[in-house]
Amino acid sequence: QAQRELPLDRNTQYEIASIKVTGTATYNEGTVIAFTGLRVGEKLYLPGEKLSNVIKKLWDLELFSDINLYVTGLDGIKVDLRLDIQEVPELNEVKVRGIKEKKAAPFIKDNGLNKGAKVTENLITTTDNYIENYYRKKGYFNSKVIVNTIDTPDSIAGNKVNMVISVDKGERVKIDEIIFEGNEKLSDKKLRKAMKKTKERNPLRIWKRSKYIKADYELDKVAIIDKYKEKGFRDARIISDTIIKTEDDRISLKLNVEEGNKYYIGDIKFIGNTVYSDAQLAAKIGLTRGDVYNGIVLKERIEQPGDPDADDLANLYQNSGYLFSNINPVEVNVANDTIDFEIRIQEGKLAYFNKITIKGNDKTKDHVIYRELRTRPGQQYSKQAVVTTIRELGRLGFFDPEQLTPEFKNVDQNNGTLDLEYNVVEQGASQIELQGGFGGGGFVGTLGLSFNNFSIQNIFNKDAYQPLPMGDGQKFSLRAQASQLFQTYSVSLTEPWFGGRKPVQLSASFSHTVQFLFNRTPGQRGFDVDRDRRFLITGGSLGLAKRLTWPDRNFTLSHAISFQHFDLRNYNTGLFTFGNGSSENLAYTIGLSRDNTFTNPIFPLGGSKFSITAKVTPPYSLWNGVDYEQLDGERQQAVLNGDQTEIGIIDQKRFDWLEFYKIKFNGTWYTRLYDKLVLQSNLEFGWLGAYNQNRGVPPFERFFLGGDGLGGFSLDGREVIRLRGYPNQSVTPLDRVNNSALTSNDGATIYNKFSLELRYPISFNPQATIYALTFVEGGSTYDNFRDYNPFQLNRSAGAGIRIFMPAFGLLGLDFGYGFDPIPGLTSPNGWETHFIIGQQF
Amino acid sequence: CSTYQETLKSDDIGAKYALADSLYDIGKYKKSLKLWEQIVPVYRGRPQAERVMYKYSDTYYQLGDYYLAGYNFERFVKSYPKSTKREDAAFKSAQSYYKLSPRYNLDQGDTQRAMDKLQEFINSYPESVQIPVANDMVAELGTKIEKKEFEIAKMYNKIAVSQFTYPAAIKSMDNFLSDFPGSEFKEDALFYRLDSAYKFAIGSRRDLVTERLEAAKQYHETLIKYFPSGKYNEEATEMITDINERLAEAIN
Repeated sequence: QAQRELPLDRNTQYEIASIKVTGTATYNEGTVIAFTGLRVGEKLYLPGEKLSNVIKKLWDLELFSDINLYVTGLDGIKVDLRLDIQEVPELNEVKVRGIKEKKAAPFIKDNGLNKGAKVTENLITTTDNYIENYYRKKGYFNSKVIVNTIDTPDSIAGNKVNMVISVDKGERVKIDEIIFEGNEKLSDKKLRKAMKKTKERNPLRIWKRSKYIKADYELDKVAIIDKYKEKGFRDARIISDTIIKTEDDRISLKLNVEEGNKYYIGDIKFIGNTVYSDAQLAAKIGLTRGDVYNGIVLKERIEQPGDPDADDLANLYQNSGYLFSNINPVEVNVANDTIDFEIRIQEGKLAYFNKITIKGNDKTKDHVIYRELRTRPGQQYSKQAVVTTIRELGRLGFFDPEQLTPEFKNVDQNNGTLDLEYNVVEQGASQIELQGGFGGGGFVGTLGLSFNNFSIQNIFNKDAYQPLPMGDGQKFSLRAQASQLFQTYSVSLTEPWFGGRKPVQLSASFSHTVQFLFNRTPGQRGFDVDRDRRFLITGGSLGLAKRLTWPDRNFTLSHAISFQHFDLRNYNTGLFTFGNGSSENLAYTIGLSRDNTFTNPIFPLGGSKFSITAKVTPPYSLWNGVDYEQLDGERQQAVLNGDQTEIGIIDQKRFDWLEFYKIKFNGTWYTRLYDKLVLQSNLEFGWLGAYNQNRGVPPFERFFLGGDGLGGFSLDGREVIRLRGYPNQSVTPLDRVNNSALTSNDGATIYNKFSLELRYPISFNPQATIYALTFVEGGSTYDNFRDYNPFQLNRSAGAGIRIFMPAFGLLGLDFGYGFDPIPGLTSPNGWETHFIIGQQF
Repeated sequence: CSTYQETLKSDDIGAKYALADSLYDIGKYKKSLKLWEQIVPVYRGRPQAERVMYKYSDTYYQLGDYYLAGYNFERFVKSYPKSTKREDAAFKSAQSYYKLSPRYNLDQGDTQRAMDKLQEFINSYPESVQIPVANDMVAELGTKIEKKEFEIAKMYNKIAVSQFTYPAAIKSMDNFLSDFPGSEFKEDALFYRLDSAYKFAIGSRRDLVTERLEAAKQYHETLIKYFPSGKYNEEATEMITDINERLAEAIN
């Protein structure tokens, strides 16, 4: 293109006579001119600020690869302008060579290499760097990436290019040898061990492959120095380090260290402390004269910024109101190999919280959050209280725990006050369960809704439906399950602060179940549901649970009243002696539990859990005037006669209103043995008794021991207790002589169980917590205390694995070997496989 | 309806504009919005844009999407400083933000913004006929924020039964009274401060009771000074009688 020099004067204002846009294919000329803001008739300097701004504005769009502005005509002060722009080509297709398509997909996604993307220089460079860095990080030190663009002639679509990315990741660079020089006090082996990521080549090491990654190597060099510091070599340093290329894909590292002298701690003096005595502070530091000078430990005892729970000096002050405290260790004297310290403390003024605010709650109401806070206006500042509050807010489940942040505001050192603002981000707290499947002889459909932050008081307020009444911190769930054979409906509500004054949890639930029997026609597949033969359970419960402050805050006391109505019609299954009739179960349950297990609820590292509960019914036989002794006599006669009808009639009288008491104890202890290896010891005991021995223990509410312990579909309030190594519900009382069909499966009234389980975590990944376990356990059931013998156990041992995924809950698989015969067998029960599903930790 | 669908799919901007405008005029905002959304980017920078932008913003306003209405009206005001609709748009923008203000016991970030925007309107158009309405809205939002703060402070008094948060209640009431000296909740705040201080005192360790009763007595005096015959008179009198009795006992 031939260019003429036009005689333009810098100091003359020119007037635009015309503007033309050339070069663009997709943008309308008017659009471009409108964007530049230049108008015909406008006056401007050439060249001048206005024009450069226009060009900059165009560049900033990142839509053009070339922008030129020409003056095409000059007539006096009138100028003709021509804007020539080259559009950045659009991406048509990406081809990645040298790696598999599947591997390439994330690169394409992460760099936004979609069809139609603008292919700028920047895009090409970042893509190139991105892929190269990706492979460098994985140890492909020699990776090479070339990004080419190829014009694709397309007269309709205009400016398009194909992108070809050639990846040569090269060989993974391995480290042949790590050579240390100058080390006398610590062996090569020790130093190599200190390097956590940078390892020598070793075919036996599977988990940590040898690779050279610069960033990791730098960290490992610091780790070496830290190792020396731990041993008292305060002055240790790495003088030089060299990378030696031995082969194309092999390097050796050579590190030259200077160890220096080993130092010991001399006097530690505290200066400026008024709140805590020297002795108290010295106890916290835990280092005394003559100890090896361990720089790492000393630093940690004073302050560990990464750990809010650390038991260090800084937190001692921070947790007792001294927000402005400042602690500084100073080496005051180095004599030979002994260092004297002064720990200089500026305590500062005591700080008190002034205003406490919450920001970001657009669903959850203020009082639901404020009542949970451990930091309150006027209270003395405590770092621990802030940390605990954050954790407890996270546990509510209403907010994203990752985004909960405390923010100190208006920190006033003179008055000793600060405001605290908690930033919260609401998260979906509702779950919907909708599933269908085949089981129990037909299609089973389940619909469950669970709302974690419900507002029941707004249930009739139509303005509150956005989309649901939320924000009062209540838990509300609805569940319906139905198949041809049964239907279950349940509703439950939990209010954590009943009445708003005390943290007393109120829970109410209601459920209704119908179960039908079926007729099987011989010779035909399938069955007919017989709706005339059914079993109906309707019930509800109301409970209060209160967290106690005495003896400590880990105790919970709970009360509940429950009622169940059982109604049987032509339901002769052997489960009950009467096929027609009804039973009412009105009971009061009181429970005391304590739980101080810590860190991870799925995999506790320590602490214990125990609970003791008593469930009692009113002693009707005291006042209802029925002569149960006579009834018992009649029943024994009927049993002798084998008169099932008569037994049924008598049992209906005995169990019209259920009368029993049930006491249960469950204790679990977690002991950390080594690293993350945890021993879980568990002790369980249960006892179902009758007030009136003639009336007897009802066939409901009994204990069934053995197998995976999954409740399944329990009709009669039975308690299914896990005992691995035996089939489900198979461990009947050993002393039971009359193991007739009638009594074989009616459950026991007493049981105990002991178990020891060793657990080791494989993964703490938030997507899936996995741990392996091995166990020995034993348990047995009894019909009465005459037979009770806690040493006469059905023993078993085995191993298994548990996987916890937030979306699915807990899944597990256990293999157990039963050493004892189950009733009816003479040889050991042998191996059993158990699948475990559900929230049983 | 088929003409609507056809127009929606066609490339004829003029037809789209005409239809959107007529739908807007007869109040079919949902349908007209779909068309505006297509037209707006095309008209940007053209002379007709002013009219298009106003109607587009107002469609959101009419549909109750106050978030986008507020934003778009605000943009309109900035883009067309000479428009005759400017005052109207500014008011509707502020009013949209007002409507976004949530109930008192949720985060009041939007309320604060609405108050700022309304104040901006009041300052920019002191002659507007909407000033009384805007003032009312500001007052209402102010009361809402006061109610929030008061209710939180009152909650500390309420849960103190189990949590012993009386000091927090006293402190929060103090802060409330100094932050909102002319609040309509002043009487309640003064009373609940007295109530908290009184209950705090009688629940305290023996050697601290007298000192804390004296503090409660001070709070009673303040309450009586401002509201000599207020709605809490009966309860307050009961408290001060007991306080005086206890103080007299302590001296003897």
